[in-house]
Amino acid sequence: MKVAYLSDDRMTGGTVLEVKNLKTWFFTHRGIVKAVNGVDFALNKGECLCLVGESGCGKSVTALSILRLFDSPPGKIVEGEISYSGADLAKCPVEDLRKIRGKDIAMVFQNAQSALNPVFTIGDQIVEQIKTHMDVSKDAALQKARSLLSEMSIPQADRALKMYPHQMSGGMKQRAMIAMSLSCDPGILIADEPTTAVDVTIRAQIMHILGELKTNRKMSIIFITHDLSLVREIGDRAAVVYAGKVVEVAPVADILRNPAHPYTIGLIGCLPDISTELKRLPSIPGSTPNPIDIPTGCAFHPRCPKVMDVCRKVEPELLNISDVQAVACHLYDSQGSTK
Amino acid sequence: MNTNSIQLLHIRDLKKYYSVTAGLIPRPVGEIKAVDGVSLSINEGEVLGLVGESGCGKSTLGRTILRLEEPTSGDITFNGVNVVRLTKNGLRKLRSKVQIVFQDPDSSLDPRMTVGDSIEEALIVHDVKEPEIRAARVAELMEKVGLEAGFVERYPHEFSGGQKQRIGIARALAMNPQLVIADEPVSALDVSVQAQILNLMMDIKEEDGLAYLFISHDLSVVKYISDRVAVMYLGKIVELADKREFFQHPLHPYTEALFSAIASLRPSGKERILLKGDVPSPLNPPAGCRFHTRCHRVMQVCSKEEPELKEAALSHYVACHLYS
Amino acid sequence: MNKGLALFLKKITGPFYINRRLAKYYLDRLKKNKLSLAGLGFIVLLALVGIFGPLFVKDPQKSDFNINNLPPLGFSIQESVYDIKTDTFTTKVIAGRPDHPLGTDSKGRDMLAMLVSGARISLFVGLLATGIAIFLGTFIGVLSAYLGGWADNVMMRFTDVMMTFPFFLLLVLIVFIFGPSLAIIVLVIGLTGWTGAARLIRSEALSLRTRDFVTASKALGASDARVMFMHLIPNVISLVIVMATLSIPGVIMAEAALSFIGLGDPMSTSWGTILNAGQHSLDTAWWVAVEPGIMLFFTVLAFNFFGDGLRDAFDPKADI
Repeated sequence: MKVAYLSDDRMTGGTVLEVKNLKTWFFTHRGIVKAVNGVDFALNKGECLCLVGESGCGKSVTALSILRLFDSPPGKIVEGEISYSGADLAKCPVEDLRKIRGKDIAMVFQNAQSALNPVFTIGDQIVEQIKTHMDVSKDAALQKARSLLSEMSIPQADRALKMYPHQMSGGMKQRAMIAMSLSCDPGILIADEPTTAVDVTIRAQIMHILGELKTNRKMSIIFITHDLSLVREIGDRAAVVYAGKVVEVAPVADILRNPAHPYTIGLIGCLPDISTELKRLPSIPGSTPNPIDIPTGCAFHPRCPKVMDVCRKVEPELLNISDVQAVACHLYDSQGSTK
Repeated sequence: MNTNSIQLLHIRDLKKYYSVTAGLIPRPVGEIKAVDGVSLSINEGEVLGLVGESGCGKSTLGRTILRLEEPTSGDITFNGVNVVRLTKNGLRKLRSKVQIVFQDPDSSLDPRMTVGDSIEEALIVHDVKEPEIRAARVAELMEKVGLEAGFVERYPHEFSGGQKQRIGIARALAMNPQLVIADEPVSALDVSVQAQILNLMMDIKEEDGLAYLFISHDLSVVKYISDRVAVMYLGKIVELADKREFFQHPLHPYTEALFSAIASLRPSGKERILLKGDVPSPLNPPAGCRFHTRCHRVMQVCSKEEPELKEAALSHYVACHLYS
Repeated sequence: MNKGLALFLKKITGPFYINRRLAKYYLDRLKKNKLSLAGLGFIVLLALVGIFGPLFVKDPQKSDFNINNLPPLGFSIQESVYDIKTDTFTTKVIAGRPDHPLGTDSKGRDMLAMLVSGARISLFVGLLATGIAIFLGTFIGVLSAYLGGWADNVMMRFTDVMMTFPFFLLLVLIVFIFGPSLAIIVLVIGLTGWTGAARLIRSEALSLRTRDFVTASKALGASDARVMFMHLIPNVISLVIVMATLSIPGVIMAEAALSFIGLGDPMSTSWGTILNAGQHSLDTAWWVAVEPGIMLFFTVLAFNFFGDGLRDAFDPKADI
């Protein structure tokens, strides 16, 4: 049975990126690391889709796969389709990808320190990005860089242009990186855990900026995180990733109120949510599987409180349980009892 | 809440400065005031949560208590003993009563030692001579933290992050300490594992009557585990209160901003408070109240005079001119 | 103290024999490097030859001028012999003999015997001098990194001075005063060759020192000595092993070079000494210089291959 895709047409019209059954495997001497093992989702125009999961679940590799930024031996997209603007990014030649990278689809990374080149000024790096994709003079590019830095609430943009990464604070670097990613006005922004390495107050600034980008520039954002509270803040829809597969997709409000997949339920449950008084935190026993050694059947079955016999043998497919919510779990398909 | 009021740890006006040198023949050119006049106390069996962002000095404070960093000035008293003046032997004894759990499970265990040996080290250092007694204690500790005793011969890289953190906790408990300084013990763990470790720490606290200094940047974790909460900013304590009072009536503007940054804590209807600029450098803290450059409720006096930590409500201390 | 030593050795070797999976992991990685294995094979062979060889060959010191300058087996050489009675030069062809398969030198000493005893000397010098150098280097490197501050500064400046020290001049001076000997060479190389190791080990120890497990050990109340021996040193040991392996060829070459220029013990039969003796008769008895040269070449190559393989095997980031 094929998956029904989640294009929630309540959003502002149309899918801009669609990932179907993506599998990115890494062939190492220790075995095959199935980092991404069947990911499906669609990104609509102007929405923020959150890829949620814990460490090692494959969400970062999914993002890297879209622009094919992972190391090519040993990694390889073994199956799947990434539809963007009429082309299949999984199969198209690298030159085509290069035209898209930075220009149509841009990426912001977790650790600004290692993503920025330490021997060039911020201004130089932004200008370089602009001139790679657009035929403009250096002055025009500098102007654009200056206005971008101001847009990011970086004070004294002129001075900032001449600064080196090590002269900037963590929050500033993160914002500079976002400015750089916006330099060619991309339609899609992939943000890979942009706030994990920064303090809470800086996080607030960054989330605010991302929110503004959505409203003012009408950008579509793929926001990768493990923090459900951020999902609640900025996400329109969320896709929960476990062991390289999407196990649940739904609008954020629905997923937080009525989570369907036992993993999602567990994840939400074990947040020491600040607004409730708890004597003891519920937790999920065991730990996330090693992508080199994924359990058979449903990857979550060893930890699932509602595990059934079929879960150990058959991998559940991602199927709609309502207009807008899809789950990959035998509790909801014809092979398990419906709940 | 535990009303046992035997005071275990008392810190008075503790300062830890690092001098910065420059030049061919190193000369001091400045000081990083990592901890700049902190006073607090922890009672037996209580958990004091210490919250702050990176660079505020909370980790340094934790380490200075154990004299892993030498205090520049101030008093630290543990069980009536003056920690600052302890010599080698006394320090060793202190380190059987006060222990520390680290943030990063990957670097807190020696990769070349079996986990059993790592846990046993404390016993060896403190002259528990008989190997059978040590082995028995190690096995007991492994089970106490939820790991099979048979795993003692394994190496750290064979365990997951959560398990390594459990081993770190077992190691800290080896000599039955009274106070454990937990330096961001769950920050590096996945959410589902965080919950497991927090539950474990709560259980152990109940069983053994331990006190914790629980250092974290995560308010939600602190809310779950603490009895009292203190907030640090640039080396100083800006607010200190009982948990319930703290979370219901935060007073200091910085605390307000911290709450506001977490969506679920934000008072409904209010806009998120965005602090201006970045955290100032500890080499050059602002004059007057250190927070005044970013404060959304700043007043004239704030740039001139440093506010003192004073009681603003019952057992609720705040260092802010708004309340003095 | 004995207990401590046993525990210390256990920490260093422990990971390899207790955790067979770890040992097997490193061994597997090493095995994939064929050159490295070839190097190891050569080294083992050389060691066997050096240790047991002298039992099976002739006495290398026995000179017999009747059979001097014999070529190796399978070669023959033309020699002009001056006959004093007839005042003529007659050309004779001298062929190699099976009882001196590698020929003899100008004094009639058997080449094979000399090379075999030379192997023993080279390995001995290599291991001993390297041992001294690595031991000193590790000690200074770890101590310097652990103590930090001015002690670190002082030790590193001392290291800098030692690095620039003209050890060659020192050697000449000592030889001038005490006369040449192998022991002197070993000592001088060992006592001056530790500087590179000290620096590398210090930088490795520096990064280890900031890791939490070192702080944890101190927090438990461990003494400085305990932290250094039980935590720092076992964790730099793989670096030390690799450095030692890669230093040995340098040391062997250094000894050979010194003997070659005459600073070594002329009575010994180290490869360098043989080379020294043979350099003048390259046209008449080329084998006297070429044979030790070949031995040096392959020995150095073998150690380098093996050392490279070891380093790659231990380095988790190397793509094997």
